[in-house]
Amino acid sequence: MIKEIDPISLQVIGGALHSIAEQMGNVLYRMSYSSIIRESQDLGAGLFDRDYNTLCESDSTPMHIGSLPGYLRGIEKSIPLSAWRPGDCVIHNHPYYGASHSPDIAIVMPVFFEAELVGFSANTAHHVDIGAATPGLVIDIPDVFAEGMLLNGLKLYDEGVRNEPLWRYIRDNTRVPGLVMGDLEAQLASAELGVQRFQELMRTYGKNQVIQATRQLMDYTERMLRREIAKIPDGDYAAEGFLDDDGSNRGVTLPIRVTVRVRGEDVEVDLTGSSPQVPTAFNVPFDGSTKVACYFAFRALLLDTYTHAEYIPQNEGSFRPVKVTAPLGCIFNPIAPAAAEARFSQIQRIVDLIIKAMAPVLPDKCTAGNAAVLSFASYSGVRPNGDYWVFLEVNEAAMGGRPMSDGPDTIEELMRNTRNNPLEDLGMHLPLICDRYEVRDDVPPGAGKFRGGAGVVKSQRYLTPGFMTHESDRHEDAPWGVFGGKPGHGGKVELRKTAIGEVHSQPAKFSGLRTDVADVITYYSPVGGGYGDPLERDPEKVLDDVLDGFITVDHARDDYGVVLAEVDDGYGWRLNPEATRKLRAEMAQRGGR
Amino acid sequence: MIRVGVDVGGTFTDLVLENSVPGREQQVVVTKVSSTPHDQSEAVVRGILKVCALAGVEPGEVDAVYHGTTVATNMVIERRGARVGMITTLGFRDILHMARHKRPHNFSLQFDVPWQSKPLVRRRDRLAVTERVMPPTGEIAVPLAEDEVRQAAELFAKRGMDAVIVAFLFSFLNNVHESRAKEIVQEVLPDAFVCCSSEVVNTIREYERFSSTAMNAYIGPHTSAYLRNLEARLRNAGIPALVRIMQSNGGISTIEKSSDLPIGLLLSGPAGGVIGGRWTGDNCGKSNIITIDIGGTSADISVIQDGRLRIKNPRDTEVASLPVLVPMIDIDAIGAGGGSIAYIDPGGAFRVGPRSAGAVPGPACYGKGGEEATVTDAQIVLGRLDPEQFLGGDIEIDAALSYKAIEKRIAEPLGLSVENAALGILKIINNNMALAINANSVAKGIDPRNFTLMGFGGAGPLHSVSLAEAIHAKDVVSPVQPGITAATGLLVTDLQYEYTHSLLAVIDQQGNADFTPINDALAALTEQANRQLDADGVAEGSRRFQRVAECRYVGQGFELRAAMPDGAISKKNVATITDSFFEEHKKVYGHAFRNQPCELITLRLVATVEVDTLKLPELAQGGRTNPTDAILYSRKTIFDDGRSHDTPRYLRGKLLADDRITGPAIVIQHNSTTLVPPHYAAQVMRYGDILIGLR
Repeated sequence: MIKEIDPISLQVIGGALHSIAEQMGNVLYRMSYSSIIRESQDLGAGLFDRDYNTLCESDSTPMHIGSLPGYLRGIEKSIPLSAWRPGDCVIHNHPYYGASHSPDIAIVMPVFFEAELVGFSANTAHHVDIGAATPGLVIDIPDVFAEGMLLNGLKLYDEGVRNEPLWRYIRDNTRVPGLVMGDLEAQLASAELGVQRFQELMRTYGKNQVIQATRQLMDYTERMLRREIAKIPDGDYAAEGFLDDDGSNRGVTLPIRVTVRVRGEDVEVDLTGSSPQVPTAFNVPFDGSTKVACYFAFRALLLDTYTHAEYIPQNEGSFRPVKVTAPLGCIFNPIAPAAAEARFSQIQRIVDLIIKAMAPVLPDKCTAGNAAVLSFASYSGVRPNGDYWVFLEVNEAAMGGRPMSDGPDTIEELMRNTRNNPLEDLGMHLPLICDRYEVRDDVPPGAGKFRGGAGVVKSQRYLTPGFMTHESDRHEDAPWGVFGGKPGHGGKVELRKTAIGEVHSQPAKFSGLRTDVADVITYYSPVGGGYGDPLERDPEKVLDDVLDGFITVDHARDDYGVVLAEVDDGYGWRLNPEATRKLRAEMAQRGGR
Repeated sequence: MIRVGVDVGGTFTDLVLENSVPGREQQVVVTKVSSTPHDQSEAVVRGILKVCALAGVEPGEVDAVYHGTTVATNMVIERRGARVGMITTLGFRDILHMARHKRPHNFSLQFDVPWQSKPLVRRRDRLAVTERVMPPTGEIAVPLAEDEVRQAAELFAKRGMDAVIVAFLFSFLNNVHESRAKEIVQEVLPDAFVCCSSEVVNTIREYERFSSTAMNAYIGPHTSAYLRNLEARLRNAGIPALVRIMQSNGGISTIEKSSDLPIGLLLSGPAGGVIGGRWTGDNCGKSNIITIDIGGTSADISVIQDGRLRIKNPRDTEVASLPVLVPMIDIDAIGAGGGSIAYIDPGGAFRVGPRSAGAVPGPACYGKGGEEATVTDAQIVLGRLDPEQFLGGDIEIDAALSYKAIEKRIAEPLGLSVENAALGILKIINNNMALAINANSVAKGIDPRNFTLMGFGGAGPLHSVSLAEAIHAKDVVSPVQPGITAATGLLVTDLQYEYTHSLLAVIDQQGNADFTPINDALAALTEQANRQLDADGVAEGSRRFQRVAECRYVGQGFELRAAMPDGAISKKNVATITDSFFEEHKKVYGHAFRNQPCELITLRLVATVEVDTLKLPELAQGGRTNPTDAILYSRKTIFDDGRSHDTPRYLRGKLLADDRITGPAIVIQHNSTTLVPPHYAAQVMRYGDILIGLR
């Protein structure tokens, strides 16, 4: 190996790697067919070395970032390093061999330079339907085999020769071959681009120079994260919460316990004490999902890209200081053949509870309780010609209040960062019509010096009979307030059976529900918790929230101690500063301050 | 004919005057005045008077003023726009608040959400009314509740709104409701700026269309006031000239049209540079050009292919993190310029930019208190910029301060010599720019090996050759006046209008499609364009129409631009569209599928009218090699090879056509410095542009 390379070349190669990953991600999402990839960008792409270290990853959806090494290690069980040949292309999605969950299919191509295997170009993308028990998504299924096709390190191309039977097998085992096959082509184009660009990089700078640079870049990222961990006082920090249920056994809540152990510049997340694994698909694959959530939490908390001026390369270095422990057989490390497809709400809660555990020692970096959930809706049906339509929708939620600002409203929080589907694009192509998509204003955001974010409400109406599966949680355990802030609010789901004029309250998780024409499903997301004492909130901001309809006049008075007076200016309300001062003083006294 | 181009920048307002009155000697005069950010029109008028005086013409003789302005853009960035009210479909009050629900940062908890923290329309001013247009046909499911519209308008009147937008779901299919609501609002608020979404951008995707419409209204009242004020100021100063405004798509437009659709002006500033680059290329016989306009804090990059501007995919056009669904030249801006600061970060990495020293305090060498090392300081340390030549000696430069800043901030911590540290600064900043160029070229299927790199802006030609090496460009052009290329661009472009219509028509593998709606829409777009050109008094013979089909494979989400055949579209000629789409798909993604049906999403009609173009006087023939009478002096200069070379300085004004200069050499002019490294040679072209290539 060569010696340390100079800081100038390091910047040059680092910039090139970043740009390769971005281009791989761009090709994948622009060329793809299903809305979950092309609009929502539920994908990840990057380059990896022979030891499966991440060299660079596209800045797409956090859940995918950091999951690919798990896939590569899983593939090694069937394809050892020595068995790769130029022109190979492998497909993989097995959740017990490193996959994030079965619908996230990886495409992996080896990168050869001067006849030697130097690394991999790979990407993952969420596929609309892999032939599971119910269209699109699953909840109440017995085991991993009901998740659909399990592809365990299979060659789509073998030394450049297309494996036609495998392509046919995939085409015949999805409800929506038109989308899935097109999306696979887009994944191939993206991986091919990565192979070419990685080879070009080595031709330009030399193989050893590039490999050395990637090592130094990983060390750099690791150093930056360790530097921040070291600033946290050593200790054990814990937080607890619970999930609604497993999607089958109603009324049985599932505990989550997170213990963060900070020791010098290392940190361990221990999930011992969390629920045992469950008999439905509501388990979390350990390598591809549980670990990734913990990596994300520390990177977002400690190397926040909004507050840090420097771009810190996304690579293996950010994983190294974080150790993750989850006992085998718990919900975060299930034993095969337990199903583990519906895992997102749980990992959101890991991140949220890490933030809660760390809040006392990171008051200027944390947030109050986030919605920390996912509403993943699968709408589907069969067209008159017999073809299926399947549409996966991700509904956003809200964040908790923050040390310097309110929690963002109606936003993709924590591990997810997809884009919504334009309602007009959906309306043109699906027998489904949106009746309402607005800020949720039936409950106020958690009060605080900086309030929680407001949630979303979305109603979809079926224009033909169909099916629906909904993967979500957090109807019960409302997002927490912090440092005197008030808690937010849980979510809810309503089904309006239009034909019989009834509205049914639905649990957060249900699968394979049959729907009739004109049935309307309405999702109300959880609402973020507040940060700091509401009595310290700038009264002008409370007035703004009333005028903007985020909160009511009563709520302003009762929770914020802000008194408003009616005024005939077209807006209706102004501050009554005198009465506000008085009420706030009274409330402060009553509160024992 | 006397025409003046005025380009307003952050620091200077640049002017070019062209006098081509028959019988008199043709004349081109350039100058600059300090910008007046509080009201750009002040400097515009002062500059025009100055350039007229220099040219010896009366202000009253000026026929036309062509203006590139950052008024609209600054208004958005600084959020100094109008108070806008919105009337929208019941149930969908918050489309502008939710946007695409994606947060701007992945790894952040403390991020800002600009469309929520600084909304174009506040929630209290978004009122929803009963109405419903249904896809996919545009049939009316629920009629418009006109009383609710009137009540909303009356409330806006009471609130004293400057502007109101009407934005309904699916209005791209049927805009009857929008048009009727607009009428009602105008009855109630006759003086307000009112527009509806189907007028501003008639395309599918509600958030992008609504937000573009809100942006149009947000900048509408003040932009139109600025333009009218400019017109009045010119009249008062005795300048009766016709005023034309540069648009983001590289065409020029009238004051009236720009006042109605100010959203088309958001790239008015940088567009001039790209057009100027294209024109310079024409003068040098180059049609494939990568332009990079390097200023103090940022660099604008664009690609010209076969003499054509590249237009950005509407999915990527944003201003201040907000979507703007109007055609814009594909210009990428990156935070890299002469003022970019070099530093060592806490993890020990060597960084340059995007933070900039700006004009104040500026680079360390300005001696205005800047202690950090900048790119300009690196140029000084390496001897590439001569302190006494900086802006013709207008700014005093202290080279010792550059040396000190680099020594203290970079060289010592990294254990490098000051010269190597300076070389490192340039290598990193050049690499940042090269990566940005690649993202705008290689990543979009452009092979830079067939392209000429053209750097302009004062600092451009200092970086051109290094950048060309990094991206493997064929050669380099340094324009005759690198500092005012953008102003020049204003005098060399066409009058241009664009119209769009979304219709979603599938064209199957055999070329079957329902062609009637396509041809009807084309006819309607053409009629719309002709109405505008009639109003402008453009003769029919000089109107040119280009038709574009924005297509995707059925099921995809991103459209690509495909060419269209002339005349009515039919099964016979539809292959022009599908073939062109196939080629474009292959170019952009590296893959394409011959046997898949494609879907036409949006029809676009671009109407252009050629106007007179700037003609420069030709230089006298020189044909000399390293002409000694153009040499000012020689000095030691360090080039990218790390070696110090004795390097002659040539005065650009003394060079003649076909003169040849071998590197190492430096060519100096008032507002720019061109580097010709060792092993390169420069050739002076007939209008004074310099072509640089390997010897």
